[in-house]
Amino acid sequence: MNAWPIILGMAVVTYVPRVAGLWLRARVPPFWQRFLRFVPIAVFAALAIPALPGGRGEAEVRILAGVLASAVSWRFRKLWLGIAVGMVAYWGLR
Amino acid sequence: MALLLSRDFVRGFRTVIPLWLGFVPFSLAYAMTARGAGLGVLETQLLSALVFAGGAQFSAVGLFAVGASGVEIVLTTLLLNVRHLLYGLSLSQRLLLTGPEKWVAAHLLTDEAYGVVLAEPHPSFAYLMGAGLSVFVPWNLFTLVGALLGQGVPDPAGLGVDFVFPLAFLALLAPMLRGGVEVGVAMLSGSIAVGGSQVLPGGVALLLAGVVGSFVGACCTAERPERSNPTEPEAS
Repeated sequence: MNAWPIILGMAVVTYVPRVAGLWLRARVPPFWQRFLRFVPIAVFAALAIPALPGGRGEAEVRILAGVLASAVSWRFRKLWLGIAVGMVAYWGLR
Repeated sequence: MALLLSRDFVRGFRTVIPLWLGFVPFSLAYAMTARGAGLGVLETQLLSALVFAGGAQFSAVGLFAVGASGVEIVLTTLLLNVRHLLYGLSLSQRLLLTGPEKWVAAHLLTDEAYGVVLAEPHPSFAYLMGAGLSVFVPWNLFTLVGALLGQGVPDPAGLGVDFVFPLAFLALLAPMLRGGVEVGVAMLSGSIAVGGSQVLPGGVALLLAGVVGSFVGACCTAERPERSNPTEPEAS
């Protein structure tokens, strides 16, 4: 698949909301403000959960490491720490 | 040039430096995953330079890997990045920018830059540019490092590099789960994604999970008119 048109499309749909927000002097209705607040939660969960078990029979180890990483990230609010703990746990347990 | 030397620019740039620890590993992981998904070094780099949105870049790479269509990838990107509209709307209330400044500033509007500018009592265009470039420069530099490293790793899957992908999203997600509705939305969207991917193409299942989850979340929070808070540090 040629990735170039997709990359350009992604660039356009990212830049347009960024620039539109700076130009518009409008207010987003409260319902849609809340909708937008939930978008990262919904999308990140939809990306993470199906990919968590993996396809090489390591589901238990990966889920355990994922839970540990989530707990660390939730507690300390540091993305890098969550990823580091998760990878170390995964390498240690597999 | 005067802008790059101004005190506000340097202050904005410096304020973001502690956050580098947060997103530098993320950009490395993104670039290595992108190479693993079959993107070239140039394509991996163009995504960081032209799109410049970590979550969307990572999602796109995951979608590339499962063979999603271009339309699905672009729609997912739109859904993930439409929150930037809020950043712009909110900044334009606080910071007067000239026309040309708006066109330039827009490209550098990330979660980190927005959060830092919002926390600054007297933001200026120079401060915004300093904060923005303090994300853009390391993000692109370490994309290049990761893209070149990713090429040299003989069997990325054997090292478990594919595990970084769900791990990064879990680590991004966890701090956002501050209440029952947030946890419920995450579980609902995760279930829709798992179930939907059995019968639908991966990109469509993801879009469906994103839209339904966000809609249910918005409906369930109607009782408490909470102000949207996009300042939460997404990658720090």
